[in-house]
Amino acid sequence: MTKNKITRRQLLRLSALAGTGAVIAACAPATPAAPAAPAAEQPAQPAAPAAEATPTPAAEAPQIPEVPRNRTVIMGWGASDFDNIGVTSPFAAGHNHQNFNSSLWDPLYYWAAFSDTVYPWLAAGDPEYNADFTEVTIKLRDGIEWSDGTPITSKDVVFTVNTWRDNDKLDYHSRVAPYVKEAVAVDDKTVKIIFKQPSPRFVFDVLTAHFDTGRPIVPAHVLEKQADVTAFPGGLDMPHSGPYNIVSWTNNQKIFDLREDWWAIKTGFQPVPEAKRVIMQRIGDDMGVVAQRVVNNELDTALDFRNDIIANILKQNPKVTTHTGQNEPHGYLDWWPNALWMNLEIEPFSDVRVRRAINRAVNRDQIDEVVYGGAKVSTIYPFPLYPPLQKFADSPGVQALVEKYQPRKFDLEESAKLMEEAGYKKNADGLWEKDGKTVPAQISGFAGIHADIVPVLAEMLRQAGFDTGEGPDFSPEAYNNMAQGRPGLYMFGHGASLRDPFAVFELFNTKPTGNVAGSNNFSRYNNPEFEKLVLEMAKYPAGDPKFDELAVQAMEFYYKDVINVPIIQWLHRIAYNQTYWVNWPTETNVGEGYNGAFWHWTGPRVIAALKPAG
Amino acid sequence: MRLGYLVRRILFLIAVVWVAATIVFFIPRLSARNPIRERFAEIARSTGFAPKDLEQIIAAYEVKFGLDKPLLQQYIEYMAGVLRGDLGPSLTRYPKTVLELIFSALPWTIVLLMLTTLISFALGNLLGALASWPRSPKFVKGLMAPLMMLQAVPAYLLGLLLIFFIAFRLKLLPMGGAYSQGVTPSLTLEFILDAARHQILPAISLILASLGFWALGMRGMGITIQGEDYVNFAEHKGLHPRTIFTQYYVRNALLPQITGLALAFGSVIVSGVLVEQLYGLPGLGGLLGDAILKNDYFVIYGITLFVILSIAVLMFIVDLIYPLLDPRIRYESR
Amino acid sequence: MTQIAAVGPKPDAQEIRYEHPSRLTLTRRYLRRNKSLVLGLAIVIALTLFTVIGSLTIDTEKRAYPLAVKPKQPPSAEYPLGTDFFGRDLLAVMVRGIWQTAVIGLIAGAIGTGVGVILGFLSAYYGGVVDTIIRAVTEVLLPIPAFLILVIIAGSIDRKSVTIYTMALIVSLLAWMGPTRVMRAQVLTLKERLFVNVARLSGMSNLEIIFKEILPNMLPFILASFVSGVFAGIFGSFGLSVLGLGPLREPLIGNTIWFAQQQAAFFNGWWWWPLWPSLALVLIFVSLTLINVGLDELANPRVRRTE
Repeated sequence: MTKNKITRRQLLRLSALAGTGAVIAACAPATPAAPAAPAAEQPAQPAAPAAEATPTPAAEAPQIPEVPRNRTVIMGWGASDFDNIGVTSPFAAGHNHQNFNSSLWDPLYYWAAFSDTVYPWLAAGDPEYNADFTEVTIKLRDGIEWSDGTPITSKDVVFTVNTWRDNDKLDYHSRVAPYVKEAVAVDDKTVKIIFKQPSPRFVFDVLTAHFDTGRPIVPAHVLEKQADVTAFPGGLDMPHSGPYNIVSWTNNQKIFDLREDWWAIKTGFQPVPEAKRVIMQRIGDDMGVVAQRVVNNELDTALDFRNDIIANILKQNPKVTTHTGQNEPHGYLDWWPNALWMNLEIEPFSDVRVRRAINRAVNRDQIDEVVYGGAKVSTIYPFPLYPPLQKFADSPGVQALVEKYQPRKFDLEESAKLMEEAGYKKNADGLWEKDGKTVPAQISGFAGIHADIVPVLAEMLRQAGFDTGEGPDFSPEAYNNMAQGRPGLYMFGHGASLRDPFAVFELFNTKPTGNVAGSNNFSRYNNPEFEKLVLEMAKYPAGDPKFDELAVQAMEFYYKDVINVPIIQWLHRIAYNQTYWVNWPTETNVGEGYNGAFWHWTGPRVIAALKPAG
Repeated sequence: MRLGYLVRRILFLIAVVWVAATIVFFIPRLSARNPIRERFAEIARSTGFAPKDLEQIIAAYEVKFGLDKPLLQQYIEYMAGVLRGDLGPSLTRYPKTVLELIFSALPWTIVLLMLTTLISFALGNLLGALASWPRSPKFVKGLMAPLMMLQAVPAYLLGLLLIFFIAFRLKLLPMGGAYSQGVTPSLTLEFILDAARHQILPAISLILASLGFWALGMRGMGITIQGEDYVNFAEHKGLHPRTIFTQYYVRNALLPQITGLALAFGSVIVSGVLVEQLYGLPGLGGLLGDAILKNDYFVIYGITLFVILSIAVLMFIVDLIYPLLDPRIRYESR
Repeated sequence: MTQIAAVGPKPDAQEIRYEHPSRLTLTRRYLRRNKSLVLGLAIVIALTLFTVIGSLTIDTEKRAYPLAVKPKQPPSAEYPLGTDFFGRDLLAVMVRGIWQTAVIGLIAGAIGTGVGVILGFLSAYYGGVVDTIIRAVTEVLLPIPAFLILVIIAGSIDRKSVTIYTMALIVSLLAWMGPTRVMRAQVLTLKERLFVNVARLSGMSNLEIIFKEILPNMLPFILASFVSGVFAGIFGSFGLSVLGLGPLREPLIGNTIWFAQQQAAFFNGWWWWPLWPSLALVLIFVSLTLINVGLDELANPRVRRTE
């Protein structure tokens, strides 16, 4: 098959997006019919079920009941995932949980970061691994059901896990297929998953909702019928397990209403959430305006504020608080430490001396001082310093590496020496040049969240002789350029490790697909020795001495090869407005211990804890 | 011949639209950017996952949208589509079509941009005419200087200041958005009033920035007309000053301004790009800005065509009604 | 204000010639009447002095870029205009930013006017097919909103090649139609004037007539269209910068405001950061408008009859 020929399967996938169109058409009878989808051109394709999605009453505004403001949570969210209207099925191509679609789907387990607690949710208790971690047994809770009244059974779990294993179009295929031999239903309430190799992290990594990872269970009785599950968008009325229904979804806002017949309410497992309605409001790029809307009590919560902005929000509205209350740094440590990524497969970044020289040109103390008002935000680690990871970072093994490689050292002379060794000379503009070419060091970042740090970094590198071009690039094509490995430096995070460093090493080990970087391994680091090490590490649970030993070895690869240049820890500075809602998760009000990121899979837990003010 | 003139004007209209469409068709295609790939990259970013067969999916979309064909063929097919009233799909918001996007944005744009342009036109011309009218009070003439300053300031900058002072500091009006949160668009009085409140600040920024243009133009015209015999004659005839002002003065001075109005309707959509973005309004300007950032060229083509077609048609209409307004012009013979 | 206040005796060319005062006196006398022109020029000169003296006295090579000075400082004796979030001295930023913004405007204005003058002359002087083609192209392009095309171009080109010079070139691409039309109309009327016919009869060549007779009479129009071109150039580049489509390292008025917006300067109380570039922009635009009004008065004596 030639590359440009479309296979049947691909057409199926395309029709997923086409299906979205069908839903829109169904929702809004007044608008012109949805355009002919690729699938529609081939009658045998299964876009038809999507098109059958019954018209949702949602889009007809007058039918939405009134909910008082103090029972409505309004959240500001800026990403473009509002545009995927009608894509609700977690298996659909382009599904995104971040715009509170997470509230439609319950997982087997939730993990709360601040209390480091796993809460069994659809599951009845902790997973039971066998001694060598080659099997795990999970029991399901009584009384759990989908929104159409169908009970949730082990069949759904088996379907979910085995479909991940078999369907390479699914996002979790690469996280499941290498480990899972088979999931089997022992009885209606019991699931056994048999692994191909010891997999002590499986339930946590895959079946436990935490941050943006871990995935919920999907309804087998709905998706079984789909010839291609990725092509089925779901629509607003797909049977689901979570506490909310989507009653309205436009490009600018989504409205979620509480489902009184949610299984957790019916069984008394959970109290009835006070938030009868949740509104996701699309906010613009101008964070000054967003901040002002929080101050004016138009928004109950929004993200992600720069250091000075959140301090000023607090000053201007005493009802607003943050994770750390009125104290610096007004936020909590996220799992997304940022680094400068570059494509190690292309000149000049393929030369480790150039990478080292870049690292030596970064003055992390100055970053803390200028960008973060003195807070210690800069880092030399590719993982967040949560307690277990802090312990790993402080371990003698890692500290010896830090001593040896000095990743934090800012030394322009050494940087210059490395560049000269690599064959570079300073040109008339004071920029390093070899064979008439300067180092392509224009830094790309995300508009808004990186607008404070990137210009500062760019100036540092420029002063060290790296050609940062006409300044930072915040345009929307930046991510694509990074994913495709185009020349340049890219500011991006590692959403990986939480409880032990394994996940970040696995991230560095993923392989590009086509000419696009795989699961965020933008460095395209490729080292057979490292790969072997990672697969070996996978077999041991954290805390096992063998694991720690291997992890230190992997860490040495990180520093020796400068897989990327670590820059900062990431802080979530989220404003919590207590005018209408109180009991936000903070340092002093840990509650169940969920982090306050309402866009994470754990977002519904944050909202469920809220209490009306006054 | 009236008919000959009409035909000439129509040909001109077609030429303007066609040339503009052609220019705009090729510009975004010169870039190496691929909006489809960027869309999938965006999905990959937010889901943390790049599909395995991404390249093939992208290629399939290119086939689907006809982007795999030679550019010239695409151009011809696109133009043929336009003639059929088909502006193609949006590349980044597929399966929405460009037409759907334009129609959903249009009401906002019509309400905000058209209304502000008309208000500004009426007010500006009145002030301009008064400023050049020898009998008007002094303060009207004094207004010209600040108006001139204001028209030199981009509407975006005025908008920025208005948000800060009126919406944020004084909290008199909403800071942005087209309507309040939790409200769903409907044709109720309540919604219309809510939406109108959200349009006040953007409208003021646009009006302030364009008022001076009309006022200065009108003032210039008025001065020119003052020396005309028919005005002197009317004065000597002893007509009431108000009659002279409205019937002789404004009417004649307004004529060239009306041609300007047709052009202004087009250019205001363009300045609306910045203002709509600033206030987060879902109009054509915001849509265009977003499409340009994402290089969604079908949307860019569609909006550009729409804007230029509107300008050309308005100019055409102005041409046709000109003789009705100005008795001196007849399209009989040349 | 200015223009309205510019009351004076009707200037009458013949009368002036009769008195034979010196050229300087004439100019001075005229300028006293044409206050718009004076004020406009005064602002431009002030801004020029600001950038010239500024770049001679301040190390703008360093202080106009991040990490140079203490960040977020309000205006003070040490930092007269304050400093921004990135540690740039706003005085240096403005010195450099106004200059580079002006460069964009000047390039765009020069190209637009230059092309306009040449095409206008060709069209009007030679007529025939040349005239028809030039006129048709101009007429068809004129109604197309230039900024729309600019934004599309700027959004399409590779981010790495967006410099202030490419910005200027982009902005000037669609800045020549207006001047072409004005020039053509003026040359057409001048061509038929008596003095040109006299020159032609006295055996002057076409080029001689153009340069010795027509061009000098066109100067006010050329200048006016150059000033409009500069205005349009700065306006266009400002729009691009504000959309984040311009270069981000070199300080410009537009991207200084963009950065201030990105860091929510107003919200954070750093009012001075967006204030100076806004003020500079207003000054530039007002001065150019004033000069244009003044030039208009110079070129169209009829306007002077006001009041």
